[in-house]
Amino acid sequence: MIKKIKIAFFSLLSLAVVSSAYADLTFVSWGGAYTAAQQKGYINNWSGKVNVENYNGGLGEVKAQVESGNVTWDVVDILPDQGVTGCDEGLFVKLDQSEFIDDMIAGPVSECVAPQIFWAYTAFYSKSAFPGKKPKTIKDFFDVKKFPGKRAIHTWANATIEMALVADGVKKKDVYKVMSTQEGIDRAFAKLDTIKDHVIFWSAGAKPLEMISSGEAVMALAYNGRIGAAILTDGKDFDYIWDATVLEQEYLAIPRGSKNEAEARKFVAYASSPESLAGVTKHITYAPMRKSALKVVQKGEPWFHNGVDVLPHVPTSKKIIKKAIIADPMWWADNGAEVSERFGAWKGN
Amino acid sequence: MSEITNSGILTTDGIPLKESLKKAERKNKIRALLLVAPLLLFIFFTFVMPIGSMLTRSTDDSYINNVFPKTFKVYQKWDRVGLPSEEIYATMFLEVKQASGFEIGKASTRMNYAKSGWKSMIKKSKRKFKKISENDGPFKDKMIEVDKKWGDPEYWLALGVMVDPTTYEYYLNSFDKKYDSEKNIIDQPEERRIYTKTWIKTFKVSILVTFFCLMLGYPISYLLATLPLKYSNLLMICVLLPFWTSLLVRIVVWMVILQQKGVFNNFMVISGLIADENRWQLMYNQTGTIIVMTQILLPFMVLPLYSVMKTISPNYMRAALNLGASPLHAFWKIYMPNSVPGISAGGMLVFVIAIGYFITPELVGGKDGQMIGNWIGYHLKTTLNWGLSAALGGILLVIMTVLYWIYNKLVGIENIKLG
Repeated sequence: MIKKIKIAFFSLLSLAVVSSAYADLTFVSWGGAYTAAQQKGYINNWSGKVNVENYNGGLGEVKAQVESGNVTWDVVDILPDQGVTGCDEGLFVKLDQSEFIDDMIAGPVSECVAPQIFWAYTAFYSKSAFPGKKPKTIKDFFDVKKFPGKRAIHTWANATIEMALVADGVKKKDVYKVMSTQEGIDRAFAKLDTIKDHVIFWSAGAKPLEMISSGEAVMALAYNGRIGAAILTDGKDFDYIWDATVLEQEYLAIPRGSKNEAEARKFVAYASSPESLAGVTKHITYAPMRKSALKVVQKGEPWFHNGVDVLPHVPTSKKIIKKAIIADPMWWADNGAEVSERFGAWKGN
Repeated sequence: MSEITNSGILTTDGIPLKESLKKAERKNKIRALLLVAPLLLFIFFTFVMPIGSMLTRSTDDSYINNVFPKTFKVYQKWDRVGLPSEEIYATMFLEVKQASGFEIGKASTRMNYAKSGWKSMIKKSKRKFKKISENDGPFKDKMIEVDKKWGDPEYWLALGVMVDPTTYEYYLNSFDKKYDSEKNIIDQPEERRIYTKTWIKTFKVSILVTFFCLMLGYPISYLLATLPLKYSNLLMICVLLPFWTSLLVRIVVWMVILQQKGVFNNFMVISGLIADENRWQLMYNQTGTIIVMTQILLPFMVLPLYSVMKTISPNYMRAALNLGASPLHAFWKIYMPNSVPGISAGGMLVFVIAIGYFITPELVGGKDGQMIGNWIGYHLKTTLNWGLSAALGGILLVIMTVLYWIYNKLVGIENIKLG
């Protein structure tokens, strides 16, 4: 009996060893509709086998893996400040960027990253909540007299600070200049004070849509891809307030010490090609970071997978990007912690 | 006679009995030790080591001192008035230039905790210093030209808090204090004071959750322990079923019930108890956190209480009543004291879990329901300020140890019973 158990145990063990030796790339992303779009958009067409895992963002896991020398992730989908910090701290390897460096709408933020998409914090509302005049600008979002009702915003400070300043009259191109002064931050919080009693907070990306649908809030900030999906596939009567939408960059990177580094490099080159990026936009309304990928989308219209024009929902399309702010990851890398603490204090008081 | 006392009693093979016994016992001890060795090793590697390394991180500031050793040495001679001398500028310049990009990156992350802005400044400088030759001094003006922040004494003063390889700054930060450049302890600026409030809130929420769990759990456990088996089994399933349901599902269900346009508020409005425009805000704040955490942690109170109450013989109560005590008096004097071990176990369990809770406050905490665990998570994942995370975690550990000690003094740890 014991012998049998032993045999079973060791064969299982060897199976685990063998399977890990043959396992191909481990691609780590955020999960949900975004990762599904990445899978349908390009991962499924890749010649090798890709294991897709989900994570919750942040460099915590990557740092732990690299420092312990046991790196199990090959490609990670990251935010720009992680691209900067991770590259500085040597958590990611440097990449060959010659292919895309002149083709990008913004960035790259460091030598370790390859372009993926822009996603945006965008204000939106349900048309039925405002039968008469509809909110058009971010000023309207901060104007609780003209458009009464609750606003749903996220529990962290990113994008809210920028939007508050634009609502207070700062020009979009000057936002980060103003934010770099103490008075600028004070000004943003003073503007936030004006809507404080009308704010509810969310921390999971699906909540703001649910809050608007149920009437819990009349306007909300949400990830533009979520709003796009609600409009395009669920047929909700939502509309965007594109004014002062804050575009955040999303990159791919390879952790230092990945066991399949050569393969991972090939995969990253493939995943950041214009066709792959346009492939993502076919399934979710996040915006490709490369200009050539936008052209692929434009030529292919109606590009969205259910046969609808997608460009009016993509925040880097010509009409929308003029109204947008491209988030400055360097500013957030410098000041993120301090502003977040202050935001936390503001929220709780 | 004397021979016998000297050699003592002998075993059959001529060895003194004492030694033989000792030998056998030693063998047994070794065997026992070997049996528990895997467990001990497991505890060491998964418990003692990580906690130890976390606690060292909370005071460790050696990395930055290894990257800029010379700068920090000359820095200490500076009188902290105006801008530093050319010597300090030059040493800094050389050390930034010579360090690897990797070292600079890690060091700049650390410097950014002391003053926001160091990060981009050091990184930019690292790139631009390449073009300036090492013999091209003086460097002061050239550095200010690269980034004007080099000419801001604030940044130089901020370096002062990092000059020792051991620092208590993370612990100070955990209570909204910090060092100034002379290492005097001062308050954080008003708008950044967040942790003391969060500590108080964390305690308040944990105590309230424990209290509500006890209030709700005690009668349930009493019923469980005293009802006939077929009813109590059913009731037990009612307690355990939510316990087995996914945490996230339960949290989301609470959101649906408690939000302003949710089931509860709708019911109150329809039944005319509150006006439509005065719906209660029960979700995305502290109230929501307390309600949801109480529901989630209730089984941790009920189960130990139940197993202790099960052992209290009903004869005690009968005897008390028989001797003329009123039911309330009998309960208070007889039943309650007998159930104290269960209350203690449940209370400790719920409180310990509650004080470090993360997921519920994260999802339903909204405005003011976030607890210290959420800040630990934030610094672990977003700012990578593991020193501060470790300090916050270390303080939690100390608080728990102290509470345990007080508890042991007051109630006695032998009075904890899980059944």
